[in-house]
Amino acid sequence: MDSRVAKRYARALFAAALKENILASVEDDLNGIEDAFGRDPRFRAFLFSPATAAEDKLTLVERVFSDRVTALTMHLLRLLLDKRRETELPLVRLEFIRLRRQHDQIVYVEVASAVPLTEAEKAAIVTKIERGTARRAETEFKIDPSLIGGVRVEYDNFVLDGTVRGSLKRMRERLVYDLLRQT
Amino acid sequence: MSSQKQSISSGALIGMAILGLGLMAGGYYISKEVHIGFLEDLAKQGIPLDLGKTISAIGVFLIVLPLLRLFYFNPLGDAITNRTSELENTFSEAESLRQEMQKMKSDYEQRLNATEARAREEIQAQIREAQNMRQSLMAEASAKADEFLKKAQEEIAMEKERVLVDLRLGVVDMTLQATERILGENVDDAKNRKLIQEFIDTAEVKQ
Repeated sequence: MDSRVAKRYARALFAAALKENILASVEDDLNGIEDAFGRDPRFRAFLFSPATAAEDKLTLVERVFSDRVTALTMHLLRLLLDKRRETELPLVRLEFIRLRRQHDQIVYVEVASAVPLTEAEKAAIVTKIERGTARRAETEFKIDPSLIGGVRVEYDNFVLDGTVRGSLKRMRERLVYDLLRQT
Repeated sequence: MSSQKQSISSGALIGMAILGLGLMAGGYYISKEVHIGFLEDLAKQGIPLDLGKTISAIGVFLIVLPLLRLFYFNPLGDAITNRTSELENTFSEAESLRQEMQKMKSDYEQRLNATEARAREEIQAQIREAQNMRQSLMAEASAKADEFLKKAQEEIAMEKERVLVDLRLGVVDMTLQATERILGENVDDAKNRKLIQEFIDTAEVKQ
């Protein structure tokens, strides 16, 4: 897929949504559409198939989304179908979310741990990130038993790895480095 | 001078022929008409001698001699002279040819000798070149063999090193896997909470 095209659509959508002050609604629409794709792979395959006629796609989209999404989102869907760029929709969503976070000074944080974190732990991590970045945080917590223990936090281009797996990985890298230096 | 001698000879011959005719006629006359007592005495003694016939025979000889000379001896002499001249010419030509052949033989032998010398030199040069080439090829082959050997030794050393590194890495991975398994079995909830708290306390957030 051509991300440059998706970025252009996302920028236009973001500007229009910002102007109408419906950023959250449009983002909810895009997330809802993505959820619909995830729930029914046949729907996604139908919509993204080059063999399906654009009119049929438009009819289906109108029927499913016209009364559930904002007019701006609907306009975007029609435009993408008309230009046969419907496959760019997931990238448009991601770029839209990135623009919205950038606009609202929000840092997206992914927190992974081997066991579920307590609310106090979650709050402490979020507070630490918000203080450190001087931005509000949008946090997604994930459970990954392969981490064995500890927490790993990813935001922007940073990774704070306090997991046992991360320590083992660093230890392996150090050992491999030493081995290769010896040769 | 030869024509003068020829004219003199012709005059003499004609004279001799006339003299011969005279002697032949005189002898015939003497034989028939003249009787000499001495000759008759000799005939009675058993020695018949006819002077006229003898004079006639001399006259016939004098007539025949120029004819013989004219029709036999001169052509024969000329033929002998011509033949002698031809033979001399032939011998001269033969000698000339022999000398020419000798010269050609000499030239040929010289050329042959020169050619043989050149051939020997070329053969020697070819042999030297072949020997040089052989030495060059042997040196090149030896250098290549050395190079291959060196490369092979280097590759063996590298391969050995690589295998050793792989082995060590395998040991590292196995050790870490074992460590991971042990840690997985031993990290309980309390230890996990402690690790999380340590992270919260020590993590350094960059902007």
